[in-house]
Amino acid sequence: MSNESLDPRVNRLKLGEAGEIVKVEEGENWNIYEVFHQEKRGAHHEHVGCVHAPDPQLALVFAKEQFGRRKKCVNLWVVKSADILAFDVEDEDMFANNLEKTYRDASGFKVMEKINKFKQSK
Amino acid sequence: MYGGGYIFDEPNKKQLREEEQHDEPEKLAAFEERIAKGEKIEPGDWMPAEYRRQLIRLIEQHAHSEIIGALPEGTWITRAPGFKRKLALIAKVQDEIGHGQLLYNAAETLGKSREAMINDLLSGKSKYSNVFNYPAETWADVAVIGFLIDAAAIVNQVANAKGSYGPYCRALERICYEESFHLKQGHDAFIELATGTPAQRDMLQDALNRWWQPIMHFFGPPDKVSSHSEKLMQWKVKMASNDDMRNQFLDAYVPKVWELGLTLPDPALRKNEATGRWEYTDPDWDEFFRVINGGGPCNAERLQVRKWAEEHGRWVRKALMRPAERKTFPAA
Amino acid sequence: MSYNAALTDLIIKMADDELIQGHRNSEWTGLGPVMEEDIAFSSMAQDKIGHAWALYRILHENLEGKDPDKFAFHRPEKDFKCSHLVEMPNEEYGFSLMRHFLFDHAEAIRYESLVDSSFEPFRILSKKVKGELKYHTLHANAWIMQLSQAGEESYQRMQEALNNTVALAAGIFEPSPEYENILIAERIYPGEAALYQRWLDRIYPILVKASLNLPDMKTITPAYGGRQAIHTPYLRPLLKEMGEVFNLDAEASW
Repeated sequence: MSNESLDPRVNRLKLGEAGEIVKVEEGENWNIYEVFHQEKRGAHHEHVGCVHAPDPQLALVFAKEQFGRRKKCVNLWVVKSADILAFDVEDEDMFANNLEKTYRDASGFKVMEKINKFKQSK
Repeated sequence: MYGGGYIFDEPNKKQLREEEQHDEPEKLAAFEERIAKGEKIEPGDWMPAEYRRQLIRLIEQHAHSEIIGALPEGTWITRAPGFKRKLALIAKVQDEIGHGQLLYNAAETLGKSREAMINDLLSGKSKYSNVFNYPAETWADVAVIGFLIDAAAIVNQVANAKGSYGPYCRALERICYEESFHLKQGHDAFIELATGTPAQRDMLQDALNRWWQPIMHFFGPPDKVSSHSEKLMQWKVKMASNDDMRNQFLDAYVPKVWELGLTLPDPALRKNEATGRWEYTDPDWDEFFRVINGGGPCNAERLQVRKWAEEHGRWVRKALMRPAERKTFPAA
Repeated sequence: MSYNAALTDLIIKMADDELIQGHRNSEWTGLGPVMEEDIAFSSMAQDKIGHAWALYRILHENLEGKDPDKFAFHRPEKDFKCSHLVEMPNEEYGFSLMRHFLFDHAEAIRYESLVDSSFEPFRILSKKVKGELKYHTLHANAWIMQLSQAGEESYQRMQEALNNTVALAAGIFEPSPEYENILIAERIYPGEAALYQRWLDRIYPILVKASLNLPDMKTITPAYGGRQAIHTPYLRPLLKEMGEVFNLDAEASW
């Protein structure tokens, strides 16, 4: 195709033939790194997304602009997606809270009741 | 347990896909109940094959629209007048690439690789928003795109952000936040021209006249001809009807054009105060379908430019490929 | 007054370099080799243009310079003082990366030297841009290292890019025959010769680590001329394009 764009920015590119097939090979966009963002010192790093990168160093360089350029940010972690381990969704029931495990909660302990009872008994 | 979300060609993944092919009324019922309750679906969850297919299609098209959408405005980066406009435009186009990045990642969680999506874009198999197949002829076009097309995109994206698929919603949350900057800078550039010299005003009016039809096309064909949306709405893949979104857009933005003393090229355009709905001349829907199928003024050029970019970046990408590494999909 | 003239000359050189380099780099926005890199490279283009803007503002506020927009978008080519390095078209990404590497280290060294300049606006600006330049040079170093160690083709491209840019980059340090001595004596900055030496000391070990051969700089003829407003044929069309909208009506507000 002769490039008849009005646009110098496009004209400069000297585009090829319209019918030409351009194909990207699988893996050409590299591997995936999960990105964790720390908003301020003392805060947790939180998962915010991922970047495609050839290695951890460039993953961090990329993450800095993709995830740190707008939102306040003081540091980032990157970790290869393949290294994340998680439970299956079907195992969600493991996390269900047993009602009888109140000994784990503050509400399971009625301190004031005991104090009041003690005071009244005086 | 699984490692790293979805993994290419792992047997359990294939199994999952086959399972989805079968009618599994119990799983389907649980899935639909979860959505009805307003819960999000996450990458590892069971989902009907049709849900997966439609979501990939939706998110992928959205992602393509971002990187192709970067082109008409991108062509004005080198010509933007003044420091503030130049910097804002570069930042905006950069955001669009950033949005593409977020959206391709979200689509990848459903099992289609970024490379495969790019290939489908380049071959024309996969579509993107029609509106980007029109040329940005003058600086005023940049203002119209930055104001009205972004506004339309926000209506659409705010609706989609309430959808059912977790990774897509999370991506949209950030996208909508950035879009508010786009809209503001677009509106500012628009007002600057509208309140400027007579030549600047003429330039803006001319751009408005040319962009009105593509903008009316933006939300897609009218509900009376738009097919298969009932199931998609139940699954919260599609969040609002085309006509509803179009109406919402007209309601919010037509007054903002009119208040500047500008006109829109449709004498029938008016709000029916009794019904609350906007009335307008139906845009040429034949043209809409013609452009979707490749017949727009810039379809070929847009893909050519993308091909140019892919070709010129290829040696960089290939040099750093790690074929021996296990490839994964994003975790969330 | 020659002090003001000397300072003005230096600021215009620095600012024009930043503007044109930023403009060239912004031509990659939306077209980069991979989305993540597209975003990173675009941020740096914005930063460069931002530095130019800041410098033109210093000129405007302290040295009776014109309004920054007018000065940048409405000035004839003969009044530009950018180096030939930044004027060159992008061509391949390897060229742009190498230019980014050479330019950004030169820029970083220049701003570092301004931390104790006698000219206060320089001291303030150098502190402001420090963090940005740290990222720019980190990004450049990472890419230079990676691509020169990524197989034969990639290595050749990077070596070729270095061969094609090094004389141009040396041209950044073209001294001013009239003003250099005043600027040094007034402790505005240490002078081009000193910066050139520091720059070589900075880039040399990185290039060695990347196994790239820096030609013997004594045999290189630096591409001088830009500072005297003698430009390559690439600048004029760039300026025409950059000012195309602005100059439809330079008095209007855009």
